[in-house]
Amino acid sequence: MEEELAADYTEACSRCSEVQWGVTDSGLFFCRNCHNVIERAHVDVDTTAPGTTRVSSVRKGPRVKKAEGGRQWMVCEGFQFILKSQAEALVKLGVDPQFKDEVLLRLWRLYLQKTHQAYTLTPVRSVCFRMRDPGSDSGSGLSSASGLGSGPDSGSGPDSGSGLDSWFGSDSQVSDSCSAAGRPGPSSAGSLGSVGSVGSLGSVGTVGSAGELSDWSMGSVDSDAYVSPSGKRRSRRSLMSMRKTLALLHVALVWSREKMGLIQLLRLVQLGLVPYINSYQCFPEDMKLNNRDGLIFRVQSIPTYSRIHSESKDLIKFLRLPAFPPISSQTWLHPLNLSLRLVSELNLPDEMSEWVEFVLDQADLMTPERLTLDPSSYRLPHYELLAAAALIVSMKLLFGLDDRTEWELSTEASSEDSERVFSLRRWYRLLHKALLRGRRRKLQLKARKQWLPDKPFYFSQKQKIVALKRRRVSEQLTSCFKRLSSEAHGAPDSPAQGGGASGAHFLWGQSPEADGRSMSHMTLRGGAKIKQTDLLQEENYWFAPFLHCRRCRGHLSPLTDRLPRMFLWVLQLFSFVLDLEPDVIFESVVSLERKLLRKQKPRTAKKRRRHERDKDKRRHKRRKVKEKEKQRRQKRRRKQ
Amino acid sequence: MDDIENELRIPQEQESDRFSVDSALDPASAKKAKLPLPNIPLLKRKRESGFHESTRLCLEQIREAMLYHRWEEAAEHMAYFHQILEDTTHNQEVQHKELIWRMGIEILHHLPNSKLEDYNNIYERMKHSVTKQYLKLCLEQSFHLLLTGHLQEAKNTLSVAESWRHGKETAAQAKEAILIKAYRSLLDYVMWCEKKENSSNTDFADTDEPQSMHNYFRQATVNLKEVFKNPGVWDPFILSYVEMMEFYDDQEEALRVLNDYAYDNSFPPNPNAHVYLYQYLKRHEAPPKKLIKVLRILHALVPSHTLMIEYCCLLLQSDKTKKALGVTVDMLDYACWRNNLEIWNNLKLIIEKLQSEDDFKETVSEVMSERMDWWPALHFTTFHAAQDQKENPELWKVKAPLAKVLCPGMTLRYCEPRRTT
Repeated sequence: MEEELAADYTEACSRCSEVQWGVTDSGLFFCRNCHNVIERAHVDVDTTAPGTTRVSSVRKGPRVKKAEGGRQWMVCEGFQFILKSQAEALVKLGVDPQFKDEVLLRLWRLYLQKTHQAYTLTPVRSVCFRMRDPGSDSGSGLSSASGLGSGPDSGSGPDSGSGLDSWFGSDSQVSDSCSAAGRPGPSSAGSLGSVGSVGSLGSVGTVGSAGELSDWSMGSVDSDAYVSPSGKRRSRRSLMSMRKTLALLHVALVWSREKMGLIQLLRLVQLGLVPYINSYQCFPEDMKLNNRDGLIFRVQSIPTYSRIHSESKDLIKFLRLPAFPPISSQTWLHPLNLSLRLVSELNLPDEMSEWVEFVLDQADLMTPERLTLDPSSYRLPHYELLAAAALIVSMKLLFGLDDRTEWELSTEASSEDSERVFSLRRWYRLLHKALLRGRRRKLQLKARKQWLPDKPFYFSQKQKIVALKRRRVSEQLTSCFKRLSSEAHGAPDSPAQGGGASGAHFLWGQSPEADGRSMSHMTLRGGAKIKQTDLLQEENYWFAPFLHCRRCRGHLSPLTDRLPRMFLWVLQLFSFVLDLEPDVIFESVVSLERKLLRKQKPRTAKKRRRHERDKDKRRHKRRKVKEKEKQRRQKRRRKQ
Repeated sequence: MDDIENELRIPQEQESDRFSVDSALDPASAKKAKLPLPNIPLLKRKRESGFHESTRLCLEQIREAMLYHRWEEAAEHMAYFHQILEDTTHNQEVQHKELIWRMGIEILHHLPNSKLEDYNNIYERMKHSVTKQYLKLCLEQSFHLLLTGHLQEAKNTLSVAESWRHGKETAAQAKEAILIKAYRSLLDYVMWCEKKENSSNTDFADTDEPQSMHNYFRQATVNLKEVFKNPGVWDPFILSYVEMMEFYDDQEEALRVLNDYAYDNSFPPNPNAHVYLYQYLKRHEAPPKKLIKVLRILHALVPSHTLMIEYCCLLLQSDKTKKALGVTVDMLDYACWRNNLEIWNNLKLIIEKLQSEDDFKETVSEVMSERMDWWPALHFTTFHAAQDQKENPELWKVKAPLAKVLCPGMTLRYCEPRRTT
């Protein structure tokens, strides 16, 4: 009787945050945990102010325990919901709406087909089905994707999706025959948007078998294909993972040549504008997660650039995609265009872009053939890294960046018409201040990032109590300190600069919140060595010392003592702007330099030979050894 | 008598400590001496998730803000730090909660706009999520309530804590439980004092008053009696207990408690215990013999105690002049009494008294033999002479003749009158 009375009241105790109410003989509520007696009164409950909680209403009657059921679903459905929400977020951020329906949907379907999860005559059956009901498995794998729509008849997109459409069309008869074998799919629903209607999974298991399970195991049907019984994630290549959703998005974005590179995508994920952390919250109510699904769908960190890039490469290989649409100089993803953005972001003179073009041209990286994904080798170019590397190399060409040349040039520049000539020293002072400010901003942003889902995650009744209590305690304390700090400051602080979707870290110009004056109009003439002809000669250009290694990782840290400080500083600046480790940028600079060398060699071989004969023999020897080593390494890399 | 011997042994141990400090200067033992190095905990893990990185950075920011007393900034970061409470990946919940408790309260102490509700909020949340620290939290909360003048609420908090039971957790906090009991009784005593003052002012107009006062008395004394069975330093509690006992004229009980407190071997040596006993005996006009007995032990524990002046007087009264000489000279060993006129006067008196006896010289040399090599430097240098003549000529007049008597074989500059004056 007592329990029934108290069961309806689910407010937390104001003293101990526990929900264990009892009713005393005199009819008052008391907390079983801390024996705090509360008044029964009809008052609006303000949860933000602890200590004022009162019973708002008391309902008598038998307590009916609602069975926590839920629909049966498959893991790939979950990923489909996540992909849908991610695609919608991207469209909201300005990506072409066709990207979602024409490109991503097709790629996803192709993935399902290649992994034999849907659109196939031989669908995979997970262990679950056979265990439960070996008889009624007709079209079970297919039905998981039945709501995806019927595929090819949804009308081909004008430009971006057409290539993929024709490619996918060759397999269309498979999916057609599939839907014929199972049940007729809703042919009108041809977009990811119709995913929400995936509700007809009646053929998978029966309600009766679900009733036998404890509420612990209520979750996706085929999660044990993804997670081993010991709780470890299986690392099979074809299995979908949260990281792979980002890889899929990246591939789709490159395919549709959208204005978004991988670095920017990851930044949006970091800012929470593209759902990734706790993205399982977009699942409908009746899709319950159990702890295995938790291992699949819950993530507590954002993957690194290189990780997603290699996953994307693997994905392209796995899907056996055709040649991508060409990346021409008009495309946003072209390194020249990307480097233009970097030039203006870093407050460098606009003239720099000519030099970037020169460098890219020398390395033979301007043509679409070199930049587009090649189906034969599945080499996915690092567009943004390439742009950054080209900019750094051109800075090295122009200013030396060897702790000597650039300061001499700056002294010369400041002696001339100081308003118009670009001086690297002035630029360094300006940027260094901005960099320090930006780093502090970024640190604050990182320290304040909230990672937890809106609703605490739990998968059993016992955990629910603990999780809810934890959440209440943390919320109450947070609100307490929020109030205190906002009272002290007058107003809640505005989100820091650099956190916007635009991805701009610095602001240059006249406005009051700018980081400093703009230097984009300045000329390089007088402040840089632009007259020399043979720029990659040893006396004009330095190379990082070569380290013998098997894997090209972590080159930078053993070299930090031997590299010029200015160069290291530039690397750090780029690492801040691109949100990447300096190591990665250094690698790309070195590889671009190698390309430049390789291109230059046949042209200037004669000249250099003559030149070298004049030099002393020791130097000659050393150089030869160096080149040999480089070539050997190139070969080895190619073999790999 | 055994007790006293035990007590007397203690100063020797202290002296041996002093020697060990000296011996630490020679290189052989200096190697062994280890300086305590700050143990900086490595916060960063090798492979950490984004969540852990954020909370780690946040904690570092709070630490730094607190270190530089930027309390508003610390509070701001604190608001983002509470997500760590929901960290389920490691078994470090207790540490996290303790972090939040300690840092939160510290920040509240320094914020100008923090209110009592905020304190209570944190304390209540933490009390019910860190059961291992429940009693400690209760004690701290009641201290804070006392600080802000909420006597009754502080007492209520302690009463709740006293009746709190949580299986093994309670047993593990036995010491805290005793403290809680002691402090609750102390609060009872404080309320008793208030009532006492009221009743003396209002002239017993309200008949209810003495009754409730007696209630407080009973509650306090029953608990305190229990508390005193546990060895420890209970100075303020003993005093309040004795005061209540004296008020209700239970001299026997008061004396018993004081005696137990001073002479029980299981208790840590505590000079105050003897001081209290002495003061009590003096208040109740005990014979000098008893007083001397108490002070003798106190002399062994703290030779420089202020009460030694009284001890000296008592000894003189009962014609133990030689002993009085020893006590006075012992006091003068300490720099704090160096310029005290009263003690030098006492010494003069004692010397004058002794001079009439036959073995005067032996007595003095016996006392001074150990001090011959350092007393002149401590008391009788030229500098002291100049200082005393300038600041306290009376002292100089007492000291100068004494110097000759105490250090007979030496020529002391101190005794020469300054030429310039």
